[in-house]
Amino acid sequence: MRQQEIHQYIQRFFHENKCRVLDESYDHMTVQLTIDMDKRIMNRPYYWSYVESGGVEPNPAKLTLITNPSQFSASLAGERIHFGSPRLHQLFQVTKEQGAFVQMYEKPGQNQATQVTLTPWLGVNYKITYSSDRTKEMLYSLGMNLMNGAVIDGFQESVRKLDLAPSVSANTYYLPYNIPPMRALNRLEEVMENVVNQDDHTWVDEAKQRQVRDLRVLDYFYTGVEDVPESYAMEKKAIEEQYETTIRIEIINGGLFYLKTALL
Amino acid sequence: MRIERSSEWKEGFLERLENRKEWDNWTLYQMCYDMERAKVIPEFHGLQSPKHLPNLTPYAHQLEAAETVIERMNGKAILADEVGLGKTIEAGLVLKEYLIRGLVKKALILAPASLTNQWIAELNQKFHIPAIAYNKKYNLDHCPIVVTSIDMAKRSPHKEMIYQQEFDLVIIDEAHKLKNPKTKNYEFVQQLKKKFCLLLTATPIQNDVFELFNLISLLKPGHLGNLETFQSVFSASKHHVEEDEFLKELIQQVMVRNIRHETGIEWTNRLVQIMPLDFTEQERAVYSMISKLPVSDSFTLLTLQREMCSSQLAAVLTLEKLHQATIQPEVRFQIEEILLKLTELDIHSKAKKALELIQKVNDKVIIFTEYRATQAYLQAVLHAKGITSVLFNGKFSKNKREWMKQLFQGNAQVLIATESGSEGINLQFCHHVINYDLPWNPMKLEQRIGRVHRLGQTEDVHIYNLAVQQSVEDKMVELLERKIGVFEKVVGELDHILTDGKRSIS
Repeated sequence: MRQQEIHQYIQRFFHENKCRVLDESYDHMTVQLTIDMDKRIMNRPYYWSYVESGGVEPNPAKLTLITNPSQFSASLAGERIHFGSPRLHQLFQVTKEQGAFVQMYEKPGQNQATQVTLTPWLGVNYKITYSSDRTKEMLYSLGMNLMNGAVIDGFQESVRKLDLAPSVSANTYYLPYNIPPMRALNRLEEVMENVVNQDDHTWVDEAKQRQVRDLRVLDYFYTGVEDVPESYAMEKKAIEEQYETTIRIEIINGGLFYLKTALL
Repeated sequence: MRIERSSEWKEGFLERLENRKEWDNWTLYQMCYDMERAKVIPEFHGLQSPKHLPNLTPYAHQLEAAETVIERMNGKAILADEVGLGKTIEAGLVLKEYLIRGLVKKALILAPASLTNQWIAELNQKFHIPAIAYNKKYNLDHCPIVVTSIDMAKRSPHKEMIYQQEFDLVIIDEAHKLKNPKTKNYEFVQQLKKKFCLLLTATPIQNDVFELFNLISLLKPGHLGNLETFQSVFSASKHHVEEDEFLKELIQQVMVRNIRHETGIEWTNRLVQIMPLDFTEQERAVYSMISKLPVSDSFTLLTLQREMCSSQLAAVLTLEKLHQATIQPEVRFQIEEILLKLTELDIHSKAKKALELIQKVNDKVIIFTEYRATQAYLQAVLHAKGITSVLFNGKFSKNKREWMKQLFQGNAQVLIATESGSEGINLQFCHHVINYDLPWNPMKLEQRIGRVHRLGQTEDVHIYNLAVQQSVEDKMVELLERKIGVFEKVVGELDHILTDGKRSIS
């Protein structure tokens, strides 16, 4: 993300969360947090329990974020935001919590005289992580047609272009799904597992080899030492953890989509 | 292979399907996916940070070094590039990468006081990392990235404040200053709470491999057994270290070292010449008198000999001190005699040689000397011949250093620097270095040359090592060669600091 994109991201984030922007320039942004947002990101539970118990007028914080790096060393008061700053990570995290489940209906479009029928889909965005001492991540955006069970990849990119609304529009009706969403979800999970199983996993052996090599060097420095100190066990454990291989499949977000556009 | 997954999302989804909870906002849903896509690490190899740093174009060797630190060394490494290859950039890339991956939230950078501002500026401008200078008035809990000097940090009350923090990453610049485990500096760093640690030094080994033991022990306590076992393994074979694959392997696990000519960058040449010179008869006589002084402390004698090889003025100061401290009348008399002879000497042969060189070169020249007295002496000698010069030493404030550098760049032909002035100034506009006195440590020589021969140098760099024949300086040249030998066996080839024809000197 470039700094401009970060600025935009923050702007949209606070807008969607109904936090008013009090002041904004190319370099910075000052927002008035809502009570809810203050509780989520300002990390002051004592203040809020005090307010709520004592009936004091709540005073949610104002936050100034500096988004232009050329202003980082200036004496502007505010938090410096860059890709990698803890605050941005935190906003990402909140976004993740707030954008996990959706139910969307495609709008019929203008001049649509006849009635429109929407087909139900389950869309799920997955992240697969291979990790050892190194990491590799892959995103998959799967969609399953809940009428016929067809599965497509790149679902998110497809629906992004469509005009969607959180409720069904007039003159539109949607088909009840044939395949229950929870069953579809299990099916998509199997698809993901297949993807993983068919992938090349030489990385596991390679990590193992590196681990063996590191352990050999460690042991070498302790050969002949009778009283092995605690630090040896600690180092050994650290090496084992460093090279431990895991595969993780996680769901970023997903939801039900009722679409008029045929995606296949 | 077992696959980990969480059922958390599934449960949340079911709650929505059953209308027990509200559905989320579509914009935030899309932002969430976009954000995950921006964060994804698509390959086992490679850094994410460069994508987010459009204004930085790192060299290939710098990217590779940062990658190696993260992928192979788990963030515990000695960055030991030769001087001038951009260790700061490598460390910045590592820091940025960890910040992006969310693995580092708090970092501490310890650099020599003269370099802290440079660090802060580089991190802010090149890496968009909001680093600030340590200040005891700040609450460190709210300062994610702090830069300070070890000298400041190790003192109360700063020490206590810093110890309270748990750092995810500690970066230590000029880490060769930590090679002695008995110092306060070493102890301070050892006790810092740190998950990842980068030690930056162009000179990880100055004298022997045990220095490396001490550095590695900071990164991985206990990895090398204890010092005794390490010593028993390596002491005996000190001269056969190249046979020991384990030490090499270990070094590969913790050290990244880029060598100038392996970087793939077109480097200008480094032309090293040893310029042997002879004392005049009178100087030789004084030198012999000094060598015969009945001084009990051999170090003082050695210093005097070295000073005599540098300038009369350097020797005078030490002799006067010695005179004050001496009681025996006959020794006092001997010293007085030497002092008298010293005043009768003409321009020092070495100064004359340096003068000739400067006139011949007719371009900007840096002279490095070990002695302040020589520094002043040389300025006077040059001034008498109408050559402008500026002085430089480590005690200068940051502003004064910058001013001197500008004077040198603009008006003066010669910059005369003492040893302590050789770190942290970049003088690529100059192409000639005279090592007026040789230091004991080959890495110091490398540090000096690195002021000039670094990224950004566009012309060949000429280095002149002056050494008085048949004096202590002969021995120094020999010792330097031997130390370079140890270093090369352990760490790898060293660029020619001395010269290929070094055997021809004696």
